[in-house]
Amino acid sequence: MTTNTDARDQLIDLAADFYDQFAAGRIPEMELPTRTKSNIEYDEESGVWTYGDRTSVRSANSVNGARKLLKAAFTIEFLADQLDEDRSSTLRELYYLSESWDNDEAQFNSQDESNDLVEDLEIVTGATREDFHMRPEESGAKVMGPLRLREQTNRGDRDIHCQLDVGQGGYQIPNNPDTIEFLENDAEFVLCVETGGMRDRLVENGFDEAYDALIVHLGGQPARATRRLTKRFRDELDLPVVVFTDGDPWSYRIFGSVAYGSIKSAHLSKYLATPEARFVGIQPADIVEYDLPSDPLSDSDVNALESELEDPRFQTDYWEEQIELQLDVGKKSEQQSLASRGLDFVTETYLPERLEEMGVA
Amino acid sequence: MTSFQSSLGEDEGIAEELAESQREISIAEFFEKNKHMLGFDSGARGLVTAVKEAVDNALDATEEAGILPDVYVEITEVGDYYRLVIEDNGPGITKEQLPKVFGKLLYGSRFHKREQNRGQQGIGISAAVLYSQLTSGQPARITSRPKGQSEAQYFELIIDTDTNEPEISVDETTSWDRPHGTRIELEMEANMRARSQLHDYVKHTAVVNPHARIELREPGLEEPWKFERATDELPAETEEIRPHPHGVELGALIKMLEATESYSVSGFLQEEFTRVGKKTADSVIDAFRDRHFGRELSWSPPSARSTVAGATNDDVADAVEAAVANKGAAATSAFAEGVAETVADNDRLSRSELETIVGNVADGVEDDTGRTFGSTVRENATAAAWRVIAGVGDDGAASNAADPDDADAAADSPIVADLYALVDGATSTRKDDGAVRAMAEALAFRIADLDGDAFRIARDDLDRLVADAAGFVADQHDATFGETARENVAEAVWSHARTVPDDPPKVRAVAGNRDAAADLLEAMRGTDILAPPTDCLAPITAELVEAGLRKEYDADFYAAATRDAEVHGGDPFIVEAGIAYGGEIPAEGSVELLRFANRVPLVYQRGACATTDVIRTIGWRNYGLDQPGGSGMPNGPAVISIHVASTNVPFTSESKDAIANVPAIEDEIELAVREAARELKSYLNRRRSMQQRREKRDVLGRILPEMADKVSEVTGRPRPDIDGALARIMNNVSVEREREDGTVRLVVENHSDVNEELEITDIVSAEPTDLSAGTVVDMDGEWFVQWKPEVASGDERELTYSVDGDADFEISVGGVETEKLTVNE
Repeated sequence: MTTNTDARDQLIDLAADFYDQFAAGRIPEMELPTRTKSNIEYDEESGVWTYGDRTSVRSANSVNGARKLLKAAFTIEFLADQLDEDRSSTLRELYYLSESWDNDEAQFNSQDESNDLVEDLEIVTGATREDFHMRPEESGAKVMGPLRLREQTNRGDRDIHCQLDVGQGGYQIPNNPDTIEFLENDAEFVLCVETGGMRDRLVENGFDEAYDALIVHLGGQPARATRRLTKRFRDELDLPVVVFTDGDPWSYRIFGSVAYGSIKSAHLSKYLATPEARFVGIQPADIVEYDLPSDPLSDSDVNALESELEDPRFQTDYWEEQIELQLDVGKKSEQQSLASRGLDFVTETYLPERLEEMGVA
Repeated sequence: MTSFQSSLGEDEGIAEELAESQREISIAEFFEKNKHMLGFDSGARGLVTAVKEAVDNALDATEEAGILPDVYVEITEVGDYYRLVIEDNGPGITKEQLPKVFGKLLYGSRFHKREQNRGQQGIGISAAVLYSQLTSGQPARITSRPKGQSEAQYFELIIDTDTNEPEISVDETTSWDRPHGTRIELEMEANMRARSQLHDYVKHTAVVNPHARIELREPGLEEPWKFERATDELPAETEEIRPHPHGVELGALIKMLEATESYSVSGFLQEEFTRVGKKTADSVIDAFRDRHFGRELSWSPPSARSTVAGATNDDVADAVEAAVANKGAAATSAFAEGVAETVADNDRLSRSELETIVGNVADGVEDDTGRTFGSTVRENATAAAWRVIAGVGDDGAASNAADPDDADAAADSPIVADLYALVDGATSTRKDDGAVRAMAEALAFRIADLDGDAFRIARDDLDRLVADAAGFVADQHDATFGETARENVAEAVWSHARTVPDDPPKVRAVAGNRDAAADLLEAMRGTDILAPPTDCLAPITAELVEAGLRKEYDADFYAAATRDAEVHGGDPFIVEAGIAYGGEIPAEGSVELLRFANRVPLVYQRGACATTDVIRTIGWRNYGLDQPGGSGMPNGPAVISIHVASTNVPFTSESKDAIANVPAIEDEIELAVREAARELKSYLNRRRSMQQRREKRDVLGRILPEMADKVSEVTGRPRPDIDGALARIMNNVSVEREREDGTVRLVVENHSDVNEELEITDIVSAEPTDLSAGTVVDMDGEWFVQWKPEVASGDERELTYSVDGDADFEISVGGVETEKLTVNE
């Protein structure tokens, strides 16, 4: 984990780079990996996605480039000051805060622009935005399960048990999960769940208690904090991680982003992705086996499945078989379609059978 | 009102028509009835028309005399009337010429001239004279001083409205300060409501006549309005040309036939038309014969037929021999053998050709034997041989050949066999053989019905005959011969028919026979004839079009183009276009369009003019002008001028305010305008790229010091020296991407002093198509457009491609030092 001072020094170093370029009579520039799909590579060794070798140069040689670098200089100053004062702010606050800068050219035109710049700074400095004390707007997802941890809050350290000390909603993951220290746990495995409805069902049915599961709510494409915490469960507590999503191609990509990383944050894959994570379901085979209520695949579903067949993340016998099967039956089902067999079916039959099959529980 | 059709070649007709009505009614009444088409329908318009006629006249007079025009126009209020004075520095006018020029309405010399001339535009100055006389009761006052004379002559001229004869009422010597020239003074009922048209007319005249000096005084102007000369070069002198055979109408042709001194049609054609020599005249006459007499169908001789049944070559000899009596056995036999042999040498024969063969052989035999073969003998022999060849019966018709009840006879008929071959060759291979045979028989039956035994038929009759036969076949045999098949069959038969040797009718006969004249006209139009010569045209030239605009419009940019001469109908024409942009030209509203025909500005009926239509259809956004909705008149600070010069400019109406929509002329207008517009576009692009470079320098000159301040603040070091970095920002190569609808343009401009070889990669999120250069590589849903242009110093290169929807792009450029490079996306 990077300390405030480390992150600050890295930012100042970048400013110093610009300074030195000026001093050498050169036009300041910074080099970044090209952030397009074609420059994302599957790193066989670590099993995650990382940027490839292609880079693009952001140079002050063009009007747009110069404006970007000017904004970068202003942002560096802001972040360095923030770290000095040990405060934090949200990405959105950064966007609005730029309005107060005394230079019109340095102000951001949209929040996308400021978000992108923060990502650029992450890439160039090798720090994360959490290191810069930048928070995303949305609150993190929740954890429920037999784990006691200590979170550093700005009101001091808090010890929290993720079953005993929390309500029905569970423990809220902070924006920077690296501020959490794991104290003790009885957990057997981590179960990441795509939809809020299914998470609530599992909690209501007491699945976490019955199976000593750490239930992590993903909430669609998972936030960085959720993915980071999941990775830490795996790496530090040595818990197996399984992912439970809907049975459609988009949900498989949610699994992919937990397990192998996403394009947008490919520079952080080694920090966020959990390549050991495994897929519970809904599997296409389940749709057939349990005769789940289903919708027909749309054209875009079919295209997505076909492009997943080409995707190195899914080039395993398991996935090829499942995807081919799904294309064959032409159906998709949601997690909650399991309710067609009763509300307890998922906790009493489906998950136990699947987890046993996978050798997890 | 008459459409331009009548003005295409029928000025004579209109003049004639108008003159005719003159004889029946008084000239005043005539004028009153026709003043709208003469341009005098209101006091406001009458004044403009009078100025226009007088100025046109003055310019023509001076130019014809080789004098640089100096024209003075003055309009003053005189009580209830307006007085118009026009002075020129022309050669002056003698007393004898006076009535001709100013007097008789519609008797100007220009109606029959095929020459580019201003006067072709209006009914003439005489109409203005008459208008002033009718409205004010005052005579025209004319002062003239021919070159070299010490005194000027002053005349007053009145037109006798009963006789349409001009009368000179005053004729006295006077003094005048101009060394030579003409001054006309007219008083008329008028008003100045059409002031803006008057100003437009005068200003535009100055634009298009840069060699003229023009001065205008009128009550609304505080200062005289002076247009100075921009060149000392007079327009090229024009040659008068005779009419082109493709450009006359029937009425005109008949009049020419009546008036010519030629006796033969061939002589007439060569004498009266341009581009017609002996060879062309022969082609026209052959075509005329085909139309007038029809062609003779030809048949193959027995020797050429494969049919086992039917006649043989010996039958020809036998028939000839039988037809000849009392010529002695040897001569008869030699004659018969000769005919049969010559017949066998031909692939196909018409009756006239057979007649020639018989004649030739008879001449030979006469020479050899001393026997005389008179015309009766020759005719008998021809008829006998023809019966064998064409299978015609004694009654002169091929009755046995195509009697539908006698199928065997029909099948054996020689003409059915020939027609079968023609029909078979002319129709698609999918046609059923039975249908082809039925068609051949139906044709043969109808052809046999033609008058005489020579099978003469005109092309339109042949078409009808084929259509009739096809109808019969469709009814009886359920086999369709569609439009194309019929056309092909008729064409096959026609192309195997022979032009007849008959002498064409003489000129007088054609003149007296409207049908014959129509045949001749069709023949003239149907014959390929060299385009008319173009030395009868005097374009302004691109250089002077530009000079004219430069003179009257204070703009930032000028361009002009002159096209090569083209022909419509029989009249050559040239289109020129000019564009002025920016500067003092008002930026609001649509561009100003100046229209000219033979150097005369057109100020009325802009919306009806072909020039306006063409401007509206051009996509001006491509050329850097704003055009709401992508069509219609473009907006912006621009003036577009279009000049059409022709021996006969087609107008939409007799008031000659708008050029008619003739496709050939519209095409040339478009090409000329586009040519000039391309220059405008590259100027605007250059200007924009300069602007961007300037803007870039300005912006970077501001941003970089601020950035330097900020990094020194953050790092806590003193402010760095950034002059070196700024110095490098004199970038020299720009790459620009523009996107309009589905089209993407990458433009590379090299402003450096060395050649550059670039490597440009444009990564597109949708598939690009129609690449004008470079290559595309598909990389997993992203397309890499790769292009390696070599751009010479000061040059520019362009790559275009199409891409659908809202694709994303990312461009990277290599091969150039980044300091020299500006990329605009």
